[in-house]
Amino acid sequence: MRVAFVGKGGVGKSSLSGSFARVLAEAGERVLAIDSDPMPGMAFSLGLEQSDAGLPDDAVEEYEEDGRQRYRLREGLTGTDAVEQYAQRAPGGVHFMQLGKARGPQWNNRRQHFGFQRLLDDLPGDGWSIVGDLPGGTRQPFLTWGRYARTFLVVIEPTPASLLTGRRLARLAETARAPRVVAIANKVREPGDAERVSSRTGLDVIGSVPFDPALADADRLGKAVLDTDPDGPTATAVRSLVQTLQKSEEQS
Amino acid sequence: MLGKLERPGRTVIADFEAGLGTVMRLEGRPVDVVVVVVEPTSKSLEVGRRAAEAVQAGKLGRLVITANRVRDDEDVARIRAAFPGLDPVLVPDEPAIVSAERKGEAPLDAAPDSPGMKALVALAESLLV
Repeated sequence: MRVAFVGKGGVGKSSLSGSFARVLAEAGERVLAIDSDPMPGMAFSLGLEQSDAGLPDDAVEEYEEDGRQRYRLREGLTGTDAVEQYAQRAPGGVHFMQLGKARGPQWNNRRQHFGFQRLLDDLPGDGWSIVGDLPGGTRQPFLTWGRYARTFLVVIEPTPASLLTGRRLARLAETARAPRVVAIANKVREPGDAERVSSRTGLDVIGSVPFDPALADADRLGKAVLDTDPDGPTATAVRSLVQTLQKSEEQS
Repeated sequence: MLGKLERPGRTVIADFEAGLGTVMRLEGRPVDVVVVVVEPTSKSLEVGRRAAEAVQAGKLGRLVITANRVRDDEDVARIRAAFPGLDPVLVPDEPAIVSAERKGEAPLDAAPDSPGMKALVALAESLLV
């Protein structure tokens, strides 16, 4: 399974994607979780301490092509090697790779940015499930940071701003010929919310996650909701979502 | 563009993209004030701390921290600990504002007298002084 979580900033992508990765690992899959957001996020929901570490500088080499500076993984280092050498281990055995985190004014992340994209071009294949947490918004999610995904999960809150972003992502997905794009209705408070997400975006809603104060509490503490409330509404909804996607992968 | 909008008597309010990208690319001093909006979650406070560092180190303008969805004294303590000496503006977590967002209404129209809106009005007035 190769999925990427996209959607407007603040809708809950990091919380859901981290929980999703952990649940997949609980189910016995070998999981690589990828955080492509230059801001801290997915580590918390995996149950890891936050760090800024991305690919080390010596994993990426610079070269010149047609007079332009370019970047690639250093000679002999494959994407799988990079994952084995540099991924952090999260609870449940999840391997975790992240884009190095931003800090300071006029932060230059060219080496980190393009090196990480080369990693995305050469991720481990058979035997791995990949779960990506993409930066918020509509900026190039399908062709750049989510290029490895076979399914895009658009996380949408039932608010006008989030619905509008969801609709734009759905249109962008058509333009970019993204393979499969579906929605998750998040922070659902009323019975008609999931239907509203579907009708306003034109996307199939394959999962619905209720508004959960326990998740808000976990976020406040910087903990994974799977650790603080393992049988609560969010964990239950994410397990259901994982099962739904596993079934649809088996059928396809 | 921000640097070219200034006119006597004009106030420009820009809502930036999430994260630090835009703040980190500001050069010179195109804004007077940077309002860093955070929630009392570990992730948001960490991002806010980085934004505050970038604003201060880059001398981008006056820095105001505004904490949204504040529920209780623990939240207040967490926010103040993240931004020592910065006296954050506190906006309470209010059902009226959540409801307005769900309906696509301006919180100032839906709940003008709520504590959260009063906190923001006070912030706006303080910036105009």
